[in-house]
Amino acid sequence: MNLNNLYRLSLRLMVALALVFVVFANASGTEDFLNDESYDDKAVGVKASDPLEPFNRAMFTFNDKVYVWVLDPVATGYSKVLPADIRQCVGNFFYNFGEPIRSVNFLLQGRFRDSGLTLSRFAINSIAGVFGLADPAADEFKIPRKKATFGQTLSVWGVGDGFYLVVPLLGSSTLRDFSGKMVETLATSSYYPWNDEAGTSVAVFSGQVVNDTSLRLGVYEDIKSMSFDPYVAFRNAYFQSRDKATDNVLVPNPNYDVNH
Amino acid sequence: MGMALSQSAASATPDPTEQFRPFLKKVTDILVDPQLKTIPKNEQGRKIISVVREHFDFREMSKRVLGQQWRELNAQEQGEFEDLFTQLLQYAYIGKIDDYSGQEVEFTLQRIKGERAEVQTLLVDKGKTIPVSYIMLLRGEQWMAYDVVIEGVSLVRNYMEQFKEILTKEGYTGLVEQIKEKISQIEKEQKKS
Repeated sequence: MNLNNLYRLSLRLMVALALVFVVFANASGTEDFLNDESYDDKAVGVKASDPLEPFNRAMFTFNDKVYVWVLDPVATGYSKVLPADIRQCVGNFFYNFGEPIRSVNFLLQGRFRDSGLTLSRFAINSIAGVFGLADPAADEFKIPRKKATFGQTLSVWGVGDGFYLVVPLLGSSTLRDFSGKMVETLATSSYYPWNDEAGTSVAVFSGQVVNDTSLRLGVYEDIKSMSFDPYVAFRNAYFQSRDKATDNVLVPNPNYDVNH
Repeated sequence: MGMALSQSAASATPDPTEQFRPFLKKVTDILVDPQLKTIPKNEQGRKIISVVREHFDFREMSKRVLGQQWRELNAQEQGEFEDLFTQLLQYAYIGKIDDYSGQEVEFTLQRIKGERAEVQTLLVDKGKTIPVSYIMLLRGEQWMAYDVVIEGVSLVRNYMEQFKEILTKEGYTGLVEQIKEKISQIEKEQKKS
């Protein structure tokens, strides 16, 4: 058995194991900031239970150290070597590779229009955007990026979060979202051109993480320095931004000139 | 479009975007003003806060961030907390002054729901765009913001959850102490840099 098979088998095992533990519950409704209920004491709080808090806190500290001692210096060095627009192109390239998966997820969620739009984004950006290095689909054709994950699909199907989970190196997640991520990793690895060897996949993944980090240097430190309990601050931010990303996508206002 | 027209014809509700466009311009103009860098850090923050106050309701923000606890405070305590929380925000964002280098603000969308409104903007920074939303309330003729939502994360709700934990564990006096401690901590860090 070679390394790649082992890697795939272990992924499959983890997915199967995770799904066994997934708790079924109703998907939570989305928030509207213009409703006062969304500011109620009861509404603000832990969305999913956090029974693993001691473990999660330990992982949070671990990830924090990795960020501060490894990722941040590497990404800072990288950002000094490559100008921002090139790093942006690299980011676009990776994002474009995820579009087919997003399209499938929209399909599984019954959002056929978004599925089609996402697929056309992939086609436009792969051809006119030179393998996805640029984003003419958003810039010229006004088709904005829309996020869809398998975790979201599971949520639409009624799978509850299970519990909050801080994954080593990957950060904030829930049992459901992490399982979804595993499924997505399996699915994308089937069409990535670098799927022939586990070592290459890891290198590509690391490259992607370093590149993403280089585009948001300082953000992590800012949130941390402004927080009273960074663990709670990041847990809260994870749930908030995830819920927001589900449906609230910006549509240009016809009444205002965007370029103004 | 038709709906927007009939809405503005039906009521005399002021347009939130029309109020926020010149307001944000005023704030960013101060940030790029070379004069600003010549005064001490502490003064810079105070100067910016005084302008930000024109369209930010720090009392409403403090009230929401405390939730249930706010109603249990007397008028004097409420005022003290408002000052403290405003000071915290002032110190938290003072460090950001140096980061601002004329990034563009694009107005993308607004929603009005009775006396509440949301103005969505995009902060364009080196090819990267950060969605920033202002949640506001109509006070007379003025739209006053009481929450800022950055990349889908509400500042008020994020602090609210953290404060809630502190309130449960250490009570209100514990929270006040922690905020004071945080302010002096940020103050020290800024003196160092």
